Amino acid sequence: MNKDRRKFLKMATATVAAATILPSVSEASLEHCEEDFDNAFGVLVDTTVCIGCRNCELACDRQNELTDHPKSYFMDNTVFDSRRRPSVESYTVVNSSFDSSSTDNKSFGKIQCMHCNHPACVSACIVGALTKCKHGVVSYDAWKCIGCRYCMVACPFQIPAYEYKEALKPRVMKCTFCYDLIHNDKKPACVESCPVEALTFGKRGDLIKHAHVKIEAAPNNYYDHVFGENEIGGTSWMYLANKDFINYDLPKLEEEKIPSLTESIQHGIFKSFLPPLALYGFLGLVMHSIRQDKKKEEENDEQS
Amino acid sequence: MRQFIRYFFCVLMVPLLVSMVFGTAYAQNHNSDLECKRCHSCDNPTEDSPCIHVCPTKASKHFTSEHLLSEAPDTIVLDHIMKQFEPVRFDHKSHAKMSQMNSSCKTCHHYSPKDRIPPCHECHGAEDNPNNLRQPSLKGAYHRQCMSCHREWSHDTKCVVCHLSCEEDAGFVSEADSTDIVGISHPVIAVPTVKIYHTPYKPGPVVTFYHDEHVDLFGFECVDCHIDENCGYCHDLSHPDNLVKTEEEKHAMCINCHQINNCGHCHDHKRKPAFTHASTGFPLNRYHNQLECRSCHPTRKKIGKLDSHCNSCHGGWNQQNFRHSITGLMLDENHIEWDCVDCHPGNAYDKPDCSGCHDDDISMENGLPGEYIIRQ
Repeated sequence: MNKDRRKFLKMATATVAAATILPSVSEASLEHCEEDFDNAFGVLVDTTVCIGCRNCELACDRQNELTDHPKSYFMDNTVFDSRRRPSVESYTVVNSSFDSSSTDNKSFGKIQCMHCNHPACVSACIVGALTKCKHGVVSYDAWKCIGCRYCMVACPFQIPAYEYKEALKPRVMKCTFCYDLIHNDKKPACVESCPVEALTFGKRGDLIKHAHVKIEAAPNNYYDHVFGENEIGGTSWMYLANKDFINYDLPKLEEEKIPSLTESIQHGIFKSFLPPLALYGFLGLVMHSIRQDKKKEEENDEQS
Repeated sequence: MRQFIRYFFCVLMVPLLVSMVFGTAYAQNHNSDLECKRCHSCDNPTEDSPCIHVCPTKASKHFTSEHLLSEAPDTIVLDHIMKQFEPVRFDHKSHAKMSQMNSSCKTCHHYSPKDRIPPCHECHGAEDNPNNLRQPSLKGAYHRQCMSCHREWSHDTKCVVCHLSCEEDAGFVSEADSTDIVGISHPVIAVPTVKIYHTPYKPGPVVTFYHDEHVDLFGFECVDCHIDENCGYCHDLSHPDNLVKTEEEKHAMCINCHQINNCGHCHDHKRKPAFTHASTGFPLNRYHNQLECRSCHPTRKKIGKLDSHCNSCHGGWNQQNFRHSITGLMLDENHIEWDCVDCHPGNAYDKPDCSGCHDDDISMENGLPGEYIIRQ
């Protein structure tokens, strides 16, 4: 009996020690994830320049080897009749503006993962399959993913898609920001393919400045707002647009970071490993009191 | 004392001379209205490193000046990035002509300096400029100019419209001809001579519009009436409403120049005859007939009624310098001495008044002041 208890205590100590070390390990792995969002990479989408040619969809498809669709598939303009969302087959889609009263002044804009500064999906992921890492990329690790799809619920832009048709190894599918390309000083495939350079790739801080210069230079073309500069704490992908596009085609979001409420509660409570320590402390007290009681009983028995 | 003078000279004169020399150099290149930053990119430009902007910037946009259509090159082969893309033969002349209905050269050539229009590749490099995110690369610049306009009316963004062969475009056959893109795919726009409009206005349902008169006689440029008519105005077949004008818009085209309240000026029951100067009450003689309209009516477009008195134009004529024989009547010795107003009082030059000298029974019919000759 004594031996068992010793074993249990050893185990408990080991568990506590491991649990104390683990958070510091995970923090260490996040170390290279820049908080310096100005120097993270970003893309500025100018919807007033976009002509809706869907070349970015084609380039994305080829880069990520998503489908075998021929080029003609991406030249079909009837897709603009409905509003689309990124899917398992396409990490990005181009939509036309909601207001279709005039074709001449129609705006187009591509949508994809916004690679938020404070991503709700990363916060919601319970296994750390999604991480906000170097270059500002929100990357996905299919090996870690358990398929809970909390990220899909959490995303304010409704971006992540899920391979429901895959029976054995379903993945969450979303824009990768062409991590391999940008890691090697290249541009993402969509940016590279845009014939009119409606997409500008660069350091997020530079892009914000550039966006405001553009607005200042042509105040009649743009609504004086850079979508993504402050929305939900800022996003790596940002949009310049006319008033209608900002109002009808992009979601209305507060400036507050989405994970701020949940994380402040969760991180507050679990700071310095307090709840487990408190729990084990409490259990220790209970065990101690039980032991005391047992001792007393034994003493009483001996006395009697 | 001498030392003091030398000192004085050094302290006062040297800076003065320096400022004079540099001041002249500065004045040669600088205009007091210009801000330094408009041309210089750094705070302290020097002669060795003036750090002048390579290309015209936003600030110099107003330097864009008008250029004549005749200066425009016919066809331009866009091959500066031919290593990456198929060269494009661009029919510059046709586009220049079309753009005259819009904002002329400025439609495409933004930020041009005053004296000339630089080609796109002079400012836009083949690679992006990471220091200037605002400026698209040459590829982007070309595509923005072409595609943003073309898709407006064709609703099409196919590469083959301009690029004759495109690897990715397998399955699409180029509609373009390698020698002339716009010339082949766009028929020559016929300029109408006369247009007859049938209107619902009952007292005068027919409106005759002589297009050729307005262009040839009255000197109208296309853009004077066809304002803001880009390609999409005719070609956007998905929006035929564009071509339907309201009553107000229709009338505005004419009323802008013909400031009249008389419907009958344009509306009639049948086709109106073409304009003749006689209809204004001033038939043109053979000399006037040879003149351009604007020699008498210098204002283009809005042609107003002139004073029909001869000396409203020929104010400089008098008895000494006017050859009366040019009218067909050579004055005899008795009459050639007289002043013009003696026979033509009150500037009435069509018929002389003989009663000033002669008795009542003498008139042009029974006593000529000279003899008719064949007009020379």
